Amino acid sequence: MNGAAAASAGRERRLEAVASYSLLVLAALYALFPIAWMLSTSFKSEAEALSLPVRWIPKQPTLSAYVEMWTLRPFGTYFYNSILVSGVTALLSTVVGALAGYGFSRFKFRFRTTLMAGFLATQMISGVLVIGPYFQILAAVELYNTLTGLIIAYVTICLPFAAWMSKGYFDSIPRELDEAGLVDGASRFQIFLRIIMPIALPGTVATLLFAFLLAWQDLLWALCLISIDEKRTVTLGVAFAVGEFVVKWPMLTAASLIGSLPTLILYLLLQRFYVEGLARGAVKG
Amino acid sequence: MSSGRAWHDRHLGYLFVLPATLMLVGVLVFPAFITLKLSVTPEGGSGWHFTLAHYQNAFRDPVLLQTFKNTFAFVAWSLVGHFTVGLGLALALNQALPGQTFFRLVALIPWTIPDVVAGIIFRWILNPIFGCLNPLIKIVIPSFPAEFQWLSSPTLAFPAVIFANVWRGYPLVMVMLLAGLMAIPRELYEAAAVDGAGRLKRFLHVTLPGLSTIILIALALDMVWEFRRFALVLAMTGGGPGTLTEVLSTLVYKTYFQFFTFEYASAMAILMSAVLFVLSLPYIVLVGREQ
Repeated sequence: MNGAAAASAGRERRLEAVASYSLLVLAALYALFPIAWMLSTSFKSEAEALSLPVRWIPKQPTLSAYVEMWTLRPFGTYFYNSILVSGVTALLSTVVGALAGYGFSRFKFRFRTTLMAGFLATQMISGVLVIGPYFQILAAVELYNTLTGLIIAYVTICLPFAAWMSKGYFDSIPRELDEAGLVDGASRFQIFLRIIMPIALPGTVATLLFAFLLAWQDLLWALCLISIDEKRTVTLGVAFAVGEFVVKWPMLTAASLIGSLPTLILYLLLQRFYVEGLARGAVKG
Repeated sequence: MSSGRAWHDRHLGYLFVLPATLMLVGVLVFPAFITLKLSVTPEGGSGWHFTLAHYQNAFRDPVLLQTFKNTFAFVAWSLVGHFTVGLGLALALNQALPGQTFFRLVALIPWTIPDVVAGIIFRWILNPIFGCLNPLIKIVIPSFPAEFQWLSSPTLAFPAVIFANVWRGYPLVMVMLLAGLMAIPRELYEAAAVDGAGRLKRFLHVTLPGLSTIILIALALDMVWEFRRFALVLAMTGGGPGTLTEVLSTLVYKTYFQFFTFEYASAMAILMSAVLFVLSLPYIVLVGREQ
């Protein structure tokens, strides 16, 4: 490559970087703007939120909306419920999904491909298709208005992608490791637990995160399966607060923000697993 | 011994897959069949009397037809938005620039916000008097009406919901495309550059072919997710004004749990699922062939 060509290539690269940065800054503003507006409102008094002209930054920042949210409605209970439901859902669906994924990845058995296609197809089932009968079944076995009924539903919804994602991940782990374990006299289950699962940790963490988010963010199932206040989840609490406190925007935004915080923090902590797990599991080329 | 191992393994395979299969059958497949049966049961009836009346009513129901149209438009425009924003950002994030991790982190944040919260935020942003969008537009277009009612406007409520949904949903498409981009070997780009291919040519002949499968998968999955999107619409407009922003999931929910016509709701849910199934068939075949 001669000097002129190298210089033009360098200029082209600089231009590309400038274009990329402009796009990224715009995107960051786009992604953060609604959250910033929510944050700003949550630190306003009710009077300030409903005053004109609209203020971007609160003049007299106050925590009263957060205090009010916590005292007017039992958000502590909602949080406890959501953390319990989402945590158990994440653990159970990841374990059961990983078992299935390992079965699909390492064993040949009849109906294997049919079952795998079936798992894939259940991912297409919309919640509203099954919510009516599921509601009646729960009522019949006295699990209506219980967190257990909700957990069973969430775990099941998470299972197809958990199984597929971990299967993809297990496929990328050499089978020789399993065989070495067999030679050493370990059982298939011990191999799964002690050899394969530790290697598959990034994929497992990504699945955990996915399942936790799905359970935490759901509204439909909680809305249909929970009707008493002390069993409500955070999203359900927020949804009902909207109906009750129509004009209390600082309180609504405070509740919304606090309700989004756990998944946000979890994501920030685990994000390096997320892209890698997705890349090797779901998106494996 | 070796045949014993094979026999053992074949049955162990079932054992590993069994718990997940049982749960899927119990919680999704079995209730789906009950819905199917309910959809051909006369209203208030039980046992083995069958009727197609609910389906006949469904095909003549103007609200349902309107809702089908809304849902198709909602899904199509959301997909366009998610793909445009997602691909643009994935391409920008795939160049090893300093600070890239920070931007990737920020770009994914809308994904961590629950749908119901997203609906509330945008309702507040679009609030005609105290929201922040109207004053912002006023700065750019001084002639813009002062208290414009976005969410009660027959023409603009629907685009407003799409706008919110593009914000809420682009991150997952972006991250899948990004993972796909990262899987394309650098050498392919270098080889193309040596051959004198410009940026556009490299994009058309290296990036797009390398990304085509993942684009199909991302769009297919996104289609399913958008078809089911529920809480965002419910929290933002509740389906209004009138039924102009109603989507199938909110309509079926209301028919079940607010109007309590279970049989008719079942028929609607079956129709919705049939359409979704047909639309996602290419995806199932595609993934099946990959295996």
